[in-house]
Amino acid sequence: MAAVEELSEPDDLTADEREAVQHQLFRLADDEFVVAERYTEWQVKAPTLESDLAFSNIAQDELGHARLWYDLLQDWGAEESELIWERDPSEWRHSTLAELPFDEGDWADPVLRSYLYDVAEDIQLRALQDSSYPRIRDRVGKILGEEDYHREHAANWLERLCEEEESRARVQDALDRLFPHALTLFAPTDEAVEERIDELGIRSEPLVTMREEWLDEVIPFLESLGLSVDDAELPEQYDVHHSQLELPEHTGRDQSHTDAWFDLHDDFTHTYQELGRTSAERIMKDPDDE
Amino acid sequence: MDIEEVKQRAGPREFSPKDEMPEKYRKAATRMIQFHANSEIMGAYLEKPFIRQAPSLDRKLAFSAKVQDEIGHGQLLYRAAESLGIKTRDEMLDELAEGKGKFLNCFHYPMDSYVETPMIAFFVDGAAMRRQATLKSTSWEPYAHAMDKVCFEEGFHVKHGEAILYELMTGSKKEQEMTQEAFDEWWPRIIQFFGPTNEKSTHHGFASEVGLKQMSNDDLRTAFLNAYIPKAEKYGLEIPEEPRISKNDDGTYEVVEEDLDWDEFFTIAKNDYEPGVGQINGRKAAQDAVEWVRESLDSHENRLYGSSQPQAAD
Amino acid sequence: MIWEVFRQEKSGDYHKHCGNVHAPDREMALLFAEVQHGRRKPTNSLWVTPQKEIGEVDTEDAAFGGTTDKSYRWAMTYNFEAAASEVEESESEQASAERERKAQIEGGS
Repeated sequence: MAAVEELSEPDDLTADEREAVQHQLFRLADDEFVVAERYTEWQVKAPTLESDLAFSNIAQDELGHARLWYDLLQDWGAEESELIWERDPSEWRHSTLAELPFDEGDWADPVLRSYLYDVAEDIQLRALQDSSYPRIRDRVGKILGEEDYHREHAANWLERLCEEEESRARVQDALDRLFPHALTLFAPTDEAVEERIDELGIRSEPLVTMREEWLDEVIPFLESLGLSVDDAELPEQYDVHHSQLELPEHTGRDQSHTDAWFDLHDDFTHTYQELGRTSAERIMKDPDDE
Repeated sequence: MDIEEVKQRAGPREFSPKDEMPEKYRKAATRMIQFHANSEIMGAYLEKPFIRQAPSLDRKLAFSAKVQDEIGHGQLLYRAAESLGIKTRDEMLDELAEGKGKFLNCFHYPMDSYVETPMIAFFVDGAAMRRQATLKSTSWEPYAHAMDKVCFEEGFHVKHGEAILYELMTGSKKEQEMTQEAFDEWWPRIIQFFGPTNEKSTHHGFASEVGLKQMSNDDLRTAFLNAYIPKAEKYGLEIPEEPRISKNDDGTYEVVEEDLDWDEFFTIAKNDYEPGVGQINGRKAAQDAVEWVRESLDSHENRLYGSSQPQAAD
Repeated sequence: MIWEVFRQEKSGDYHKHCGNVHAPDREMALLFAEVQHGRRKPTNSLWVTPQKEIGEVDTEDAAFGGTTDKSYRWAMTYNFEAAASEVEESESEQASAERERKAQIEGGS
């Protein structure tokens, strides 16, 4: 990829540049926040005490990443209250993979969701390591440092659950349900803005390329466990655009969401609403001062 | 070792799994540590909804970390209990699910609102931490080891609770009123945390003779009231008129027992209090729903290492 | 099964026992130990080992260091001024080890 010009400080961006950076940041921040919201639902409900601790840790990591990305969105004056607590649910841009609910006890869901999500996150973060926007670039390393554990954790669990037919069938069910939504991880927020993100060098790989990379990693691994990715029966040489992989009705990225998202949103904003809050209490230092 | 020798030797961290402890000691210690471990789990269950409902990102992180710590404390404590060779962890968790496992009175009351969270996170955890600090010198070494780590982590919990209390009591008038209401409701339960006065506590005698328990409930209650009444007042909470509490010249407190609802307390102690039963059953449903995962892990382990001996035999 | 966990605080330190975890195999034991025993305390490395593989010998079974006079093993027995600071240091470490050992024998019986 050709060398791109470094973008200016937040205040000096043109309107188009700012929009592109913001779209990129909302993709990242909303994904992390919402997926963590589903992960924490497992706290006190995981199969063993040790697995409870491990998965809680992953949830906290993701929330911590959301915090770093939302913090960058605050560069243009919005506060956490506006970005999270008062933003209309129909304005969020996370992938629908993050928001889907699950049945009680369906432990195949979080480990598979986390696997699909974390492989994608790793690819997306690596495409930001050379971002033309320095504020994004500077935070990627810290986040990548926590991702190895996530992927290892998810892959280890999948390997073990897939050893036996009965538990593998549960993973397969989860896969059938989650896989189409996982594809939305690479769906555009808005075609024109996504193109601009690439042109400006905010990320070094376009969405289709990252999706390709993701499929190349995820599908062979899942198949090696005896799972089948039916909708993705691919020839030896993968079709470049995987056009046969259909996206679900709602992709999240374009601000269309499943009903479950609106319930989840009601639930996590409950206290903020009940107490009539107008600001969000910070405990930790500003990430720029860490 | 017979009971007389145990009583004679009873001191901080005196006994460990390599000592042949009489069954009476092992049962008493199991009962005490299992109760403690169960309380961690049920406390976590009680606070869990506020991971989702915390009104800021930082608070959400803190709630998640706190609930995680409690599950971690449960892990440490069940291990300490398992090492007595009476019950396995799975058996203890099953007992908890079936309503046979006992746990702290305060964790039988579900919380509806965020304003209630400091009642647990500041006052109940503060009371618990007081007790736990004394248990660092309990006679069962694995229990004392668990307390080292629990106390190391618990400081964050109480401070987190205090910060929320401060935030609410310096917040809007509505928040202050809601918090005072929650305090009025929780205060008697918090006082009952320490149980009835010594005469009524059946297990206390033996547990302190063999060094398991380090401080009487009355002493713990006094220490707690000394530290936490001024804190409550400092944040603008009014101490409810009942139960009537008076301070003696020697610094101890007198709580008028008939002002407290002991029927409810003992109903709770039997796991018969309706809202508490809901908590127990809710956790049971969650535990049952992931039984398939534990079975899958067990057969994985058996494939690797052969079927193992019962795990309490350590 | 139960895995004992040993934590090394910083590179070069010994691994010290810090607790245990239930886990179905070594990989999972490491993943679990990392969170349960390494998330707050400073940690450079962790070891896990199956509990049943640990052997123990203690003062009930063994007279560590013997019971008869073995003062020939100790620097303090030799009445010369230390030739260099490292000799002096070794002697003072030995002196405190011996004091602790004696206290243990006296206290233990």
